[in-house]
Amino acid sequence: MQFCTRHFGTIEYDPEAVFQFPAGLPGFEDQRRFLPLQQPNVEPIVFLQSLDRPDLCFITLPVQTIEPGYRLSISAEDLRLLGLPEDRQPEMGKQVLCLAIVAVAEGRPPTANLLAPVVLNLENRRAVQAILSDSPYSHRHPLPAGGQEDPVCSSCGAGPAKRS
Amino acid sequence: MLIVRRRAGQAVLIGDQVEIHVLEIAPGRVKLGVVAPREIPVLRAEVKLTRETNLAAAQAVPAEKLAELARRLRKEAPARGAAALGPAGEPSEQP
Repeated sequence: MQFCTRHFGTIEYDPEAVFQFPAGLPGFEDQRRFLPLQQPNVEPIVFLQSLDRPDLCFITLPVQTIEPGYRLSISAEDLRLLGLPEDRQPEMGKQVLCLAIVAVAEGRPPTANLLAPVVLNLENRRAVQAILSDSPYSHRHPLPAGGQEDPVCSSCGAGPAKRS
Repeated sequence: MLIVRRRAGQAVLIGDQVEIHVLEIAPGRVKLGVVAPREIPVLRAEVKLTRETNLAAAQAVPAEKLAELARRLRKEAPARGAAALGPAGEPSEQP
């Protein structure tokens, strides 16, 4: 199958790779089909490209790349939408993949929504943006920002200047 | 903000049509029941926050900013990040 996207040009995809979002995403309730895309030069970023709107593409990160000990607490309603048993949380990496949507704005550090991960069921290709209940995570978790890498510490004694 | 003390089993009325019942109180959490007409959406506040962050996240991002973010993430967590996506979509051309 082919789809013309705004950011990637025309992409060729396997229909099996598409994820169905039965409820859309908050703010994008009518967007039901997304395709995850990876590009070698920007790993570990995963792009979630809408197959209904060529210009809609979310930047996401697997939650474990942000928070290694990430824990899910998906509501029964969302587990039902995912076609998963309601009495236990799914296993990340095997049954489901969890992606945090990243917001990059001018003038402040990029943030990731760890409170509401996009949960993709790898077995039946259904997905929801699950707003976790009783979760310690923030919807604006800060990511490493640009422009302050390896700051040269001028006051820690490593500099050549010695105060007398 | 109006502050009202309520016990389990008691309720608060908003206008003629909205009722908020305190069903259960446990340490650190409370269970509420809301009765409201169909045309009044009842949402957890997090849904609104997520909608706002989704709308902000849907803005286009310059390629160099993305590359920079990816580089920093790789530096912080070089061992993690390989995502098992199953049959993958591959862009047929670079953006």
